[in-house]
Amino acid sequence: MKFVISVLSPSTAPSTRRALRFAQAALAAGHEIVRVFFYQDGVLSASNNIVVAQDQQNITQQWQTFITENQLDAVVCIAAALRRGVLDQTEAQRYGREAANLAEGYQLSGLGQLHDGLQQAERFISFGGE
Amino acid sequence: MTTLHILNASPSTATQLKSCLRVVSSGDGIVLCGEAVQALRAGSVAAQQLQACERGYRLYALQEDVQARGIDTATMPVTLLDYPAFVALCVDYARVNSWT
Amino acid sequence: MAKSVLLISRQAPWAGIAAAEALDIALAAGAFDLPLSILFMDDGVLQLLDQQQPLALEQKDLSANLQALPMFGIEQLYVAQHCLTERGLAESPLAIAAERLDDQQIQQLIRAHDYVVTL
Repeated sequence: MKFVISVLSPSTAPSTRRALRFAQAALAAGHEIVRVFFYQDGVLSASNNIVVAQDQQNITQQWQTFITENQLDAVVCIAAALRRGVLDQTEAQRYGREAANLAEGYQLSGLGQLHDGLQQAERFISFGGE
Repeated sequence: MTTLHILNASPSTATQLKSCLRVVSSGDGIVLCGEAVQALRAGSVAAQQLQACERGYRLYALQEDVQARGIDTATMPVTLLDYPAFVALCVDYARVNSWT
Repeated sequence: MAKSVLLISRQAPWAGIAAAEALDIALAAGAFDLPLSILFMDDGVLQLLDQQQPLALEQKDLSANLQALPMFGIEQLYVAQHCLTERGLAESPLAIAAERLDDQQIQQLIRAHDYVVTL
């Protein structure tokens, strides 16, 4: 089965960890993840600026590792990202901001990528709220 | 073609459960995860709402959330899921409706 | 044949940007000519009301985006009747034309779409 998975909350939310465990189980079962789409507060989960205490699970890092190791298409909605302060190099330069903080392995793009993913896939599941 | 509804908010503070129970179709599934597993507490208003729904749906809950909260599900007609089972369920139902 | 999406919008227009970000999903579908319907439910029904004054909160008017929907080809708009009634709005005029649905009709609406996106 082809999945599109959407993450709508920051890494501190239980739902973002839940999304990761679900995605890991989906791949382990042999399913395909067409795209992981980060929207609303989920764009914050794609920041490379997050520092997690030693005695806690680093869900941000785990998501990034999962995406890069499995070469997944991780798209972060650009409009949602800009208004929450998650920028890549291009956008940081365009708007004269000091830092680009989009984590490696993620791309900024539009909502069209969500729809494109849905047209290719067979199942959509999103993880938001807490 | 059936729908798997996913609820994650507390039944005391959010309207997810009440609204979902209005629009769930016969044959659908409901997965409780996160704070939504509070609805499994026997004798609670939310548990009564789950049981009062006339349409036949199948009830599931994420095992880790039930366990973390120390909820006894012995008296509720609920199937506990690990993540592989959760994924399999999403394949079995025709569509997934994640309530936020 | 393109897969269809039912967008269920549940947030009030003035309670943060969730309502606007939900609507953006609809506009994006329209821009790509994809079949998408919107169901306004719970506090989401408040987006459809007449007589709202966003300038009082120094906010952009969401109803401008709502009115743009038909131009993007998004014409299937629905509203949960019981949610209007619960909020004392059963008789209130809606600024945007949306078909009122009862619970059974909503159940059917969900079954009629390939995907449901609830925000």
